[in-house]
Amino acid sequence: MTTKTTSARPAAGPREESRRRPPASSATTVGRPGFAWALPAAVFFALFAIAPLIMVAVLSFMSWDGLGSPEFVGTDNWSRLMDDPVMLKSIWLTLLLTVLGVVVQTPLSIVLGVWAAGYQRNRAVLSVIYFIPLLLSATAVSVLWRALLDPNFGIPAEATWLFGDGNLFGEQATAIGVLAFVSTWQFTPFHTLIYQGAARAVPQVLYQAAEIDGAGRYRQFFHITLPQLRNSMITSMILMIVGGLTTFETVLILTQGGPGTDTTISAYYMYDKAFKGFDFGTGSAIALALVVAATVISLIVVRVSGYDKMRSSMEGVS
Amino acid sequence: MKTRARLPRLVACGATLTLALGLSACGDGNGGASSDDGKIHVLVYGDASNKVEKKIVDTFNKTSDVKVVLDTIPGADYQKKLQTIINTPQAPDVFFNWGGGSIKPFVKADLLMPLDDFIKKNPDLENKFLPSVFNNAVVDGKPYGIPMRGTQPVLLFHNKKVLDEAGVKPPKTWDELLDAVGKLKDAGVTPIALGGGDVWPTQMWFQYLFDRVAGPELFKKAVGGDKSAWESADSKKALNMIRELVDAGAFGKNYDSVKYTNGGSVALVASGKAGFELMGSWYYSQQLTDHKEFAEKGLGYTAFPAVEGGKGDPANVAGNTNNYYSVMKKTKHPEAVAEFLKLMYSDEFVKAQLDIGNLPTTTNTAEFIETSGTPEYSRFQYDLVADAPSFQLSWDQAYPQKASSDMHKAVQQFFNGQLDTDGFIKAMQALPTE
Repeated sequence: MTTKTTSARPAAGPREESRRRPPASSATTVGRPGFAWALPAAVFFALFAIAPLIMVAVLSFMSWDGLGSPEFVGTDNWSRLMDDPVMLKSIWLTLLLTVLGVVVQTPLSIVLGVWAAGYQRNRAVLSVIYFIPLLLSATAVSVLWRALLDPNFGIPAEATWLFGDGNLFGEQATAIGVLAFVSTWQFTPFHTLIYQGAARAVPQVLYQAAEIDGAGRYRQFFHITLPQLRNSMITSMILMIVGGLTTFETVLILTQGGPGTDTTISAYYMYDKAFKGFDFGTGSAIALALVVAATVISLIVVRVSGYDKMRSSMEGVS
Repeated sequence: MKTRARLPRLVACGATLTLALGLSACGDGNGGASSDDGKIHVLVYGDASNKVEKKIVDTFNKTSDVKVVLDTIPGADYQKKLQTIINTPQAPDVFFNWGGGSIKPFVKADLLMPLDDFIKKNPDLENKFLPSVFNNAVVDGKPYGIPMRGTQPVLLFHNKKVLDEAGVKPPKTWDELLDAVGKLKDAGVTPIALGGGDVWPTQMWFQYLFDRVAGPELFKKAVGGDKSAWESADSKKALNMIRELVDAGAFGKNYDSVKYTNGGSVALVASGKAGFELMGSWYYSQQLTDHKEFAEKGLGYTAFPAVEGGKGDPANVAGNTNNYYSVMKKTKHPEAVAEFLKLMYSDEFVKAQLDIGNLPTTTNTAEFIETSGTPEYSRFQYDLVADAPSFQLSWDQAYPQKASSDMHKAVQQFFNGQLDTDGFIKAMQALPTE
């Protein structure tokens, strides 16, 4: 066998190899499908993602109220945004809400996910119930919580020791708290799902070995489960960050950016400018800034975390 | 081998092309004014009142060669959709609006047809409507809208039982109102319910107080572009009175967390936890839906109190004057449109509007008012509007639509103390007026 294959191969030195054209003919037809297969998806992506993005970029240098024809105004929109205190505030608020989301949701969903990864029947039942918020639309969730938090007839009226006069939406700190809470309530189940899957994928041999070595449950959690969840953690965090940067419906329905502009995050400010103020140029500028910021932040996370190299966390296991 | 690889490629290309064509085809499915299909497209805000609009369209189509097609857009999206299609081939021939600032940008963009030609041929198109209402769709001296629904003045509603128990009579003057606020507070209820979370209910206090203190001229000047009006002594006086009312605890402490639109403030009054609420005339039917027994027995209403020494006539009202039909300049069937608009003061129209609880603003409304479900309430409103020397259109509708978001922010921030008088004046001066 071995001799046959070696002899069939042309005696090619490095020179011959380099002269050969890149492996086009035989290798690819067998292995990867051609670009044609990706064409429908590519066309749709170009039509609904790339093209609008380019149009938004162009529009950000124009002045347009949706009525007349757009006029080029150079960098007017951008320079006005740079001096706009609301814009600056909105960036901080966006970052704050994103960080709050990651900090609150990550530990919660890890604990819940690892717990739900057990095969006990009661855990399975409770997990199903716990995943319900995931099935509700963000709009429904926001409407629900706005009603539940009514100061006179909702939860705050029953628990005045905790909520005081119940003016949750009338002050910045509490309004932000409500936004963070509602996103947590809504999105933790999703991240729990990620961690549940990941925790189940951790090889049982690791735990068995640890048990033999005398490691208790907490040591097992911190020294086996957590390190094994590393890649899932990064996936989940990137999703949280991108989700946090583009949060919109929750703010639209719960606070409308209020009181005043105290919860006006960038995505909502974009909507406010474009569709309430009919200043599509400025709205586009904010949108483009958001796209750039979200891309940069995701790239940084990917780089710093080593996610791009996708090292297997199973090294030495199998 | 080669032909086999080519086939799927061909299919994929074909499929993509078909899809792309399909997409572009759905772009012009919604024929509008410029695609002349021998029809008039009428675009209306989608809600319960569409019943009447459908009925009127049916009546019109029975006799007319040029048919009317009624298109509706669900309420919350109406203005956004309108703004994006009005200068495209999808634009309607006739469309619903709020008069005032809601059509001003369209007039400036030369999209609307002035209706004076129609009125010259048929003076009834103006004479059959209450002047204070008709005038709110006049821009730069020319009429651009025909009233097409009901009027919605803002009234001061109260819970009769709560007022009785606190020994308070419905206030006729500002001082009586302040007095009532003190007594209601002592009685342990929130004096005035306010859905501050929606912000436009907060704004109602501004538009009435400015009208009572300074008369309608101040706001007319401001919205006309003379921004110094906001700095005037009258403006500051009105703002101080609002500040005084808020600081007196009239609205309690958590009004910004309460909403009208989710029934929060409505329930406050119905359950006796609050005494008053300032709201548009639709409040009555809202209470009727949410709290039937209270609406029928315990709900009282009065006009907004007078302000002693104020320049505004105490008979003035504020609120939503009416909704209007405006006509696009490029409509292909102006004669048919003129015929269609005539129906807006027909007996059938008035009766149908009264049937669903709307109060039309035609001169013949008075004849049919007894047929309305709530004749007493309808009569009160009709007389109020018919006798009003001036009807102040809600501020956020009198200004161009694009100003409303910033106006709401200023209103909310003045109420909760984030803006002082000077800050509020500056914010109002920064609003676009065209």
